[in-house]
Amino acid sequence: MRLLSYVNSAAVVAGVGAGAHLLAQFVLLPHVSVLFIAAVVASAVLWGLGPSLFAAVLSVAAGSYFFYSPIYSFRVANPQDLVDLAVFVVVAALTSRLAARARARALEARRRQATIGGLYAFSERLAGSATAAELNASILEHLAPVIGRPIHLLLPEGDGLVPAASLDGAGPLPGEVLAAAGRVMAGDRAAVEGWRVDPLPTAQRIVGVVAAAQPADADAAAPPDPDYARALLGQAAIALERMRLGREIADARVKAQGEALREALINSVSHDLQTPLAAILGSATALETLGEAGDPRARRELATTIREEAERLGSYIGNVLDLTRIRSGQIAPRLELVELSDIIDAALRRKERGLAAHVVHVDVPADLPMLRLDLFLMEHAVANVLDNAAKYSPAGSEVSVVASVQDGEVALDIADSGPGIRPGDRERVFEAFVRGGAQEGGAAAGSGLGLAICRAFVEANGGAATVLDTGPGRGTTVRIRLPVPARADANGGPAGDD
Amino acid sequence: MTDARPKILVVDDEPQIRRFLRLGLEGHGYVVLEAATADAALRAAVAAQPELIVLDLGLPDRDGLEVLGALREWSRVPVLVLSVRNREDEKVRAFDLGADDYVVKPFGMAELLARIKAALRRRVEREAPTPLFRVGGLEVDLARRIVRVNDAEVRLSPKQYRLLQILVANAGKVVTHRQLLSEVWGVVHRDDVQYLRVFIRKLRSRIEADPARPRYLLTELGVGYRLRTPDQVPGPP
Repeated sequence: MRLLSYVNSAAVVAGVGAGAHLLAQFVLLPHVSVLFIAAVVASAVLWGLGPSLFAAVLSVAAGSYFFYSPIYSFRVANPQDLVDLAVFVVVAALTSRLAARARARALEARRRQATIGGLYAFSERLAGSATAAELNASILEHLAPVIGRPIHLLLPEGDGLVPAASLDGAGPLPGEVLAAAGRVMAGDRAAVEGWRVDPLPTAQRIVGVVAAAQPADADAAAPPDPDYARALLGQAAIALERMRLGREIADARVKAQGEALREALINSVSHDLQTPLAAILGSATALETLGEAGDPRARRELATTIREEAERLGSYIGNVLDLTRIRSGQIAPRLELVELSDIIDAALRRKERGLAAHVVHVDVPADLPMLRLDLFLMEHAVANVLDNAAKYSPAGSEVSVVASVQDGEVALDIADSGPGIRPGDRERVFEAFVRGGAQEGGAAAGSGLGLAICRAFVEANGGAATVLDTGPGRGTTVRIRLPVPARADANGGPAGDD
Repeated sequence: MTDARPKILVVDDEPQIRRFLRLGLEGHGYVVLEAATADAALRAAVAAQPELIVLDLGLPDRDGLEVLGALREWSRVPVLVLSVRNREDEKVRAFDLGADDYVVKPFGMAELLARIKAALRRRVEREAPTPLFRVGGLEVDLARRIVRVNDAEVRLSPKQYRLLQILVANAGKVVTHRQLLSEVWGVVHRDDVQYLRVFIRKLRSRIEADPARPRYLLTELGVGYRLRTPDQVPGPP
C-alpha cells in the first residue's frame, strides 16, 4: 500500500518529466520546474507527505539531469536550480500537510455521517420494538457488527443478572463471563480473555450488560469505533429503561385497579354481609329470649326482620356470585331466538314484590323482532335494572319498561321517577361497587353491583347498556340496546294449522 | 283410628333444613316423615305411602333425580324438588322426569306451603277431573271443547286447543317444552322450541288481554309454560 504510493509518485514525476521533455522540443521552457511542482502537489494530495517528498527529490533529480545545463548530468551549474529544489521540498511538505488534513476531515465527516445514520436507524428500530423480546433482538442485531458476535444481552432479574437474549450464541454463557457481567453490572471493570463485556448505562444507572465474543486475531479486524459503540450502548440502555418503566407503570396501574376493587369488595362485603347478619342474629336471639311470654306482634316483627334480611343477604350473595362469574370469564352465553317480552315478563314477575309499591307501565310492541339472546343472562340484566328502579324511586311513582326498534336495533328503556343520576356519574354507575351519587342519605341499600352485572350480561349478549340523558329531575332511564339477528324469521313451523 | 292428616316425606341430608321443614309443616297440619339419604327415601316411600314428597337433589349417596326416576317407575305421588341449583337445564330434567314442582333454595315457608297445597289439590283433581276449568276471565269447557274469555267465545285452531288442553290438565304446574312438543306435534319435533314459541304467541293473542304481559299462560324462562290456577292469579289490575 505504502510502497504503491511511492511507485505512483515516481510514475507521476516520470510522466511530467517526459511531458516536459516532449514540450521542450517545440517551445522554450525557461521554468520547467513549475511543471514538476504540479507532480509534487499531486503526490502530496493523493498519497501524503512521504510520497510527495519522494516526488520532490525525483523532480529535482530529473530537472537537473534532463533540463538544467549541463544536460544529462546531475551537476547543477546554476544556483537558481538549488532554489528550485528548496521550493520543491517546501511545497511538498506544505501541500501534503494540507492535503492530509483535508483528507482526514473528509474521512471524519464520512465516519460521523455513518455513525449518525447508524444511530438513527438503531433508534428507529428500537422505538419500533413493541415487545421486550423484539427490543432485545433489535439491540443485539445492531450491536453485533460493531462489538462482535456471538453476542449476549444480560438483564437484571430479581437480585441477579440473567441472559435475556443472544445472537449466534450457541450454548450457555461461560461462568467467568457471567461473573464478569455481574461485576460490570455493579459498576466495576472486568476483563475476560476473548470477550468484551460492556455496561448499558443511562445517566442514572446501569440497566444491563452486553457480552460479545472477540475473535482471537482481534488486530486483524477493523478496530471498532469506540465512540460509535458507546453511543449504541447508550441508546440501547435508554430503550431498555423505557421499556422497563412502561412495564412498571402498567403493572402499577393493574395493581392499583385490583387493589381498589379488592378494597371495594371488602368494604361491600363487610357492610352488605355483616349488616343483614347482625339483624338476623339479633332478631333470632331476641325471639329466643322472648319465648312464650313475648308479645305476639313483637315476635312477628322479629320474624319478618329475619326473613327480610335473609332475602337481602341472598340477593347480595347472588350478585357476588354473578360478578365472580363475570370476572373469571365464565360467561358463555347460550344464544337462542327468543321473544324479549318473555324476558321482560319473567324479570317483572321475579321483581313483583319489590315493584309492588310502584305503578309499572309496560309497552312491548307485538311485532318486535325475535332476538338472539341468552335467556338467563338477559333476564338477570333486566331484573337488576328493575331492582334499581324500585329501590331508587319513591313508592307510588311510575316505572316504565318500553321496547322499540331504533336504527335497526331493539332499544329497551327502563325508566323510573327517582332523583336521577348526576351527568358525571352516568358511566361510573356501571362500575362494580359504585352507587348512584344523587341518592344522598338515601335509605335504599344496594351493593352497587346491579348495573355492573347488567352491563356485563348485556355485553355478553352483543348489546350495550347506558344511562340516558333525560335532563335533571326526570328520573333515571337505563337503555339496553340489543342487536337484531340478520334472519329473525319468527314465522313458519311444523304443521301450522292457522 | 287412622290419622287423616296428609303425610309428607321430607328428603334432605341437612338436619337444619329438615328441622325447619318439620316444624313449619307440622304447624300447618301435616304429618312429617324424614329421610336423609336416597336409599332411606325410597324405602320410606314404599313403606309409608306418603301423599307428597319434598325431595332435595343434593343427597350424599345418590343424585335426587335418580330417586325421582326410581319413584316414577311405580308411583305418581306428587314430588316437589328442592335445589340450590337455579339452572334451566336442571329444572327441565326434573320436570321431564316427572317432578311436580321445583323450588330453589333458599325459599320461604309460605311459598313452600302454597306449592304443597297446589300439588296436593292437583292430585285430588287428577283423580276426579272436573270438565270445567276457570281462571280469572278464562274458561275452558273440556267436555264441549269451548273456550271463553270474559264470557266471549274464542275460536282456536285444533293445535291451539290441544296445547291449551294439555296445559289445563297440568294447571298450576310447569309443562316443559319437550312435553308440549311431543304431545302436540309428536316426538320427532320435541326439540323444535321455536315452533312452540310461535304457537304460544298465537294462543296468547287469543286468550290474553296483553300478550306481552300474560296473566294466564305464563312463560317459565328456558323451561316451559304454566297455566295459572285461580289461587295463583292476582286480583284484577
